[in-house]
Amino acid sequence: MADKRVVVTGLGLVCGLGNDVQTCWSNAVNGVTGIDDVKSVDTANCYAHKGAEVDLPNEALSSENYDRSSLLCIKATAQAVEDAKLDIKSEDSSRIGVILGSCVGGAASIDKYYTDEIKGGESDAGDIWKMSASAIANNVAKHFGLNGTTANIVNACAAGTMSIAYACNLIRAGKADAFIAGGTDSFSSLAFSGFHALHALDTDSCSPFNRSSGITLGEGSGVLIVESYEHAKARGAKIYCDVLGSGVSSDAHHITAPRPDGMGQMAAIKRAVENSALDFNDIDYINAHGTGTAKNDEAEFLSLHTLFDGSDNLSVSSTKSMTGHCLGAAGSIEAVFSVKSVCDNVIPPTIGYTAEDLDKLAEKAGKLDFVPNTKREKTVTNVMSNSFAFGGNNASIIFSKNPAQLPEKETDEKVYITGAGKLLGTPCEEGSDGLRAQFTSADFKAHGIKMAFFRKLDRFSQLQLLSGVSALENAGITVDETNENNIGIVIGTADGPLKEIADFQINAIKNGTEKGSAFAFPNTVYNAAGGYLSIFSNIRGYNATVANSIQAGLQSVCYAVDVIKAGEADVMLAAGTDENTDIESTLSARLGITGSGKPYSGEGIALGEGSVTLVLEKESAAKARNAEILAEIAGCATAHGSVEAFEISGSQKALEKAIKDACADACITPDGIDAVCGFANGNKSVDALEKGALNAVFGKDIPVLSVKEQYGEARAATAALSAAYAAELLAGKAEAKGFNADNAEYILAVSFGLGGSYSAVVIKKA
Amino acid sequence: MNIEIAEKIKKVLVDTLRIPEDELEFDSELFGEDIGLDSIDSIEIIACIDELFGIDMTGAPREDFQTIETLANYVETHKEA
Repeated sequence: MADKRVVVTGLGLVCGLGNDVQTCWSNAVNGVTGIDDVKSVDTANCYAHKGAEVDLPNEALSSENYDRSSLLCIKATAQAVEDAKLDIKSEDSSRIGVILGSCVGGAASIDKYYTDEIKGGESDAGDIWKMSASAIANNVAKHFGLNGTTANIVNACAAGTMSIAYACNLIRAGKADAFIAGGTDSFSSLAFSGFHALHALDTDSCSPFNRSSGITLGEGSGVLIVESYEHAKARGAKIYCDVLGSGVSSDAHHITAPRPDGMGQMAAIKRAVENSALDFNDIDYINAHGTGTAKNDEAEFLSLHTLFDGSDNLSVSSTKSMTGHCLGAAGSIEAVFSVKSVCDNVIPPTIGYTAEDLDKLAEKAGKLDFVPNTKREKTVTNVMSNSFAFGGNNASIIFSKNPAQLPEKETDEKVYITGAGKLLGTPCEEGSDGLRAQFTSADFKAHGIKMAFFRKLDRFSQLQLLSGVSALENAGITVDETNENNIGIVIGTADGPLKEIADFQINAIKNGTEKGSAFAFPNTVYNAAGGYLSIFSNIRGYNATVANSIQAGLQSVCYAVDVIKAGEADVMLAAGTDENTDIESTLSARLGITGSGKPYSGEGIALGEGSVTLVLEKESAAKARNAEILAEIAGCATAHGSVEAFEISGSQKALEKAIKDACADACITPDGIDAVCGFANGNKSVDALEKGALNAVFGKDIPVLSVKEQYGEARAATAALSAAYAAELLAGKAEAKGFNADNAEYILAVSFGLGGSYSAVVIKKA
Repeated sequence: MNIEIAEKIKKVLVDTLRIPEDELEFDSELFGEDIGLDSIDSIEIIACIDELFGIDMTGAPREDFQTIETLANYVETHKEA
């Protein structure tokens, strides 16, 4: 058991309640609100004007020239690192990673870039690099000199909780000693305009489980140092509490609304309780998702009553009544409060109840204590924190005073690739536009996807839906009641649904915050694609989206294998998706990075697009249904070499490490690799770094294959394709120019991410 | 039905709600099974009609949202009023 203990050793927090943990906690406990009139967004013509902003300009957060979401997180991380007395210089930096949640990513920078363009001034090309959520974890890793696994989990309002949960699972799997784990989101006109369009904002400060007439938005960042118990003990760290189990699920119901019957929420909560080896009765406090919308509050109320009505001692509150809804940071901020609650034996209230409200609450609360208006002091041993998101993603995690004997769910079974779905681009007539995928209504209808469904999706989600559904069909998997909870999804992306985000933002800039599109807004979250895929295919298991530059499409394979090995799923769809629309091609041209796309030519990249989904399946599940096996995932590794988020030069050693670690994970030496499916894309420094690392690890004779020669730099899509291609070569289902795969046993797929992140996957002939 | 108004409405439905143009007729059931508009989409339609014609359809009866034809008739009637 001891080797599975993960503990919290440091906390950092900045939000509308204050600029440090103690101030925020003290205010939360005392029912002081952080909500005020919004200052950073023009709400003059809106029906709502409230928000919980951080009272510090960017310059006061950090001296770096990053997007505000990154800066808020650096501020919180600095506190957490100091609190944990973590001396990074004396640590093996490759064993400490950064996993952060975000919903809006670089929305503030997207707003600034297009405002500059539209309002006549000159836009700053430097802002383009700040747009994607991919930059956040890499910025934080750079700032603190960390070189462990990085990831941005971009599952909207569940992102913060999922990040902490994934970080803890990686520590338990022995992949790291510690993580900077949490979430961050800046206040943004994007979110304000979007929730305004959905009529989901409360005109007054939100009061979840009370008025339920809408949310109040906030901003901030919460950071936990989570650490293996051994590592914490060895360095004499103070331990706040244990992190026990977590649970992640999909509603498979609606892109914005939760299932009214609460089934998805309850699935996540049940998993968290089971994975913590606790009973429902053991939970003393639930920091609820509690947003203040009628749909959330009703579903959550039902879930809590259904599962916890037998409890005698359960308190529930929503600190969003004071912090506002900080979206991708919400789960992380609430995690900090949960830890403090365990340590201090006090529960922060939900504020905003009038005397009349209290009477109504008494009628509906039953035995549950909703902690209205004033704190509750009692012994708090186990705290659950819940986060539920757009896309129907649910996440639940438990913090405890006590270590627990966690259930043995891990598996050493082999993981096979049993199917793939691919949709990639062909060259545009206008060469400078790169490559674009061609598809029409008929392609959706061929998979039984009706117009009423696919027309709601933006291009990014459409690409993912087509490749995801094709992959399931290719693997011969029918999702039904027997397997729906054991199938999950991990999608990797470099840039997410940038077209939908940019168009939404441009409209809000031109026509006003109050003119946001209710139709488009749900698609602006990075995890919408994973949400739609789960809704259409009825997949109800794990569901994560990772933004981590180009290699996210291969990191998704590593992540999906982690989920299977942790015993959380039998089958995982691992995908890479990125789009190329007028928005992406214009921004790439502005950056001067585009060219012929011929690898090793130094002529610049040809921007591509697409989506590639692999079906990964554990051996027993694949054999039980006599699945056709394409290949085995024999080894996976990620590595990071901190450089600025717009470059990779200087991080070659990290690629070498990823390759060596993936080989070691496959129990082979690099000599065993027969060929490499590489990532050269025509950019001088990318091509040179690939060559340098492959030479250093393999010598000059290793055959290097390319998928980008044909499909361009389709970012996460080509990263995932490199693994699919390797599997198809080994299965005799594809051919490679100048390489005969007949006698090959192992092919290595590698990919790079700006900021210095790398993934490597060893594919073995089955 | 005023064809000019209907064409304008059709264009905005195609552009804003991503309804494939070749599958959208003036008498297509907008909230039927095929096109499948929902409450979020009706918020968009209200915003678009307001933007295009300066007519507020907030609270208008459901029947008026059925097809492009009924929307166009609503616009025409309320323009004259």
